[in-house]
Amino acid sequence: MPDILRFRGPALRPFLTLAVFAIAFALLPQYATGEVGTANIANVLTSFAGIGLVALALGLTMIIGEYDLSVSSTYLLGGMLAVKTGGDSPVLGAAIAVAAGLLVGFVQGVVIAKLRMSSIPVTLGGFIALLGLVYVLSNSKSVNYSDLKVTLGLNEPVLTVFTERSLIAIGIFLVLAGVFAFTWLGRDVRAIGSDRKAARTSGVRVDRIVIGTFMSSAAISCFSGALLAYSLAYATPNRTVAPLVFATTAALLGGVSLSGGRGNPLGIGCGVLCLAILNEALAVTGSAAYVTYLVTGGLLLIVTIVDAPHLLRWWRTTKAAENLRAGFSGRPPAEAATGGAR
Amino acid sequence: MSTDVATAPTGPGPARTGAGGSREAATRGAFYGAIAVFAALILYGAISTDGFLTMTNVRAILSSVAFVGMVAVGTALIMISGNLFSLAVGSTAAAAAMIFLALLPHGIVLAFAVTLLMGVVVGAMQGFLVGGIGANTIIVTIGAAGLIQGVALWASHGATILPPKGDTSFDWLNGHIFTFAVPIYILFGTVVVLDQFLRRSRFGRRLKLVGENVEAARAAGIRTAWVVIGAFSIAGGLFAFAGLELGAFNESGSLLIEGTQTYDAIAAAVVGGIAITGGRGSVWQALGGAILIAMISDILLLRGYSEGIQILVKGVVVFAVVVLARLNRMRAES
Repeated sequence: MPDILRFRGPALRPFLTLAVFAIAFALLPQYATGEVGTANIANVLTSFAGIGLVALALGLTMIIGEYDLSVSSTYLLGGMLAVKTGGDSPVLGAAIAVAAGLLVGFVQGVVIAKLRMSSIPVTLGGFIALLGLVYVLSNSKSVNYSDLKVTLGLNEPVLTVFTERSLIAIGIFLVLAGVFAFTWLGRDVRAIGSDRKAARTSGVRVDRIVIGTFMSSAAISCFSGALLAYSLAYATPNRTVAPLVFATTAALLGGVSLSGGRGNPLGIGCGVLCLAILNEALAVTGSAAYVTYLVTGGLLLIVTIVDAPHLLRWWRTTKAAENLRAGFSGRPPAEAATGGAR
Repeated sequence: MSTDVATAPTGPGPARTGAGGSREAATRGAFYGAIAVFAALILYGAISTDGFLTMTNVRAILSSVAFVGMVAVGTALIMISGNLFSLAVGSTAAAAAMIFLALLPHGIVLAFAVTLLMGVVVGAMQGFLVGGIGANTIIVTIGAAGLIQGVALWASHGATILPPKGDTSFDWLNGHIFTFAVPIYILFGTVVVLDQFLRRSRFGRRLKLVGENVEAARAAGIRTAWVVIGAFSIAGGLFAFAGLELGAFNESGSLLIEGTQTYDAIAAAVVGGIAITGGRGSVWQALGGAILIAMISDILLLRGYSEGIQILVKGVVVFAVVVLARLNRMRAES
């Protein structure tokens, strides 16, 4: 049976989380001013399209137990390349963005796989260098995209709540979910994430899959940037790590674990929807900018703490140390009172 | 460096001396490589760039080293503890600049104390999450950066913080002694003190052991969480101090003040030859890396390259250094 149909335990969690977020959002008008309707669903799907694919890109590397810091730069790079080269043909611009992503992913992936390096220092170099490249390409300024037909087309509503670009994003999610559920790739990718040595021993072509994952990750991230730049009609260089915060939170909410080996595209999609709903709720209630920072930063810390491997150990060792200290003093806390009375 | 570990009561046993020896060789190779790059760069910069070897330019380089060095030293502590680096450097520094300037009306002593305390507390909390419950450093620090920015926006209502009109209590921070800016002396003092502290204290030895192998350190009975919390607390204090100096230097504080500090700090620590995998390195190396990074920025600036090129070059340098260090180590181990 395909993995995806075996709903149980952890695989179900992202869907339950999404249900909680959705119900909470639907109940929002009863507790705060603001209305909830199809326009909100359309907004949620728009922000899903805007940044969901970055979460998917980062999530893929997290499933194999790595972390691609450079997604926040490839996201900007894709947009900048598309706007700069897609003036005549948007498809060409998007293709160049994707090609650049594949190249970036290939270089980083080869270094990580062949030199057996941790992905964080490698992609940190990529992250900073590509950020610089975006500033160079754009001359540190926003660059406008002139083909308004493309922009209007991508934002054209389809079936009330969808737009062309949200459908493209959803399509990519579904294709990857299909690959994960129905081919050997999903299984192998997760095997690499849970135990790379064992996967290698059992004949999984680890290096190829690691390189392939980094290539897909960077390509998806670049494409996502291109899609956003076309639909906003501009691309802008930006130093914030906000996309990284969003993508990481979405992936963790979506059942991906930082230790690797867990998660799938559908779960990540649920995680993205949770955050998109949260953003929409903040918008509906007219929250200030700082609230968004606080909520997203706080939420990221909460999901990280829940995901942390030694949460229970800390608790237990603290307890054990207390008991030990009590033992050394000769009087366990419980007996202290009686000891004193004697 | 290796003697520290060897004299520690819980150092790796004799079975590992072989590996330790080759690692020592690898470290030395990387070190000489770094020196060679450094010398070549000075030469190249001096010969090919107008105005590089002037006193004004040396002063300018040292002024930027004063800020970059401070955050690089903090980053070095986190890196040595085996927890990569913090991505909250810039946010912590920016918040510190804002707090310092906002509290100046209450006296500079109080402003100093509260600012540094904020850095230490914020660092300690991140240290707890990383060292205590094993959360991922990168994620904890970007989450923390988001929270710090949110709080700073909320407290400042998005406005830039300016020092009280006519306040001269912090002018000494911008002063000069023997032509060099005061912060550079503060940085050298900090490096000397921290280096001695790390060499002589139990904390220093434990820091390296935890960075080298956290499970072994735990098995040896070291309370690893507290060591990591210590490293993050000192680092947080240093980030805050750098921000305070920046705030005093610019006489204004906002979130924009963070600039490229986070990347500079990491680049300096990496270029200084501190092992990103933890366990090895000294604060002097972070200072050396900071000087190198400041010189690279300076040469590019003198030659009229844009900010983008400067960031790009730093990124390529980080990429090259981590890959070279890895190759070096693989050769030493084979």
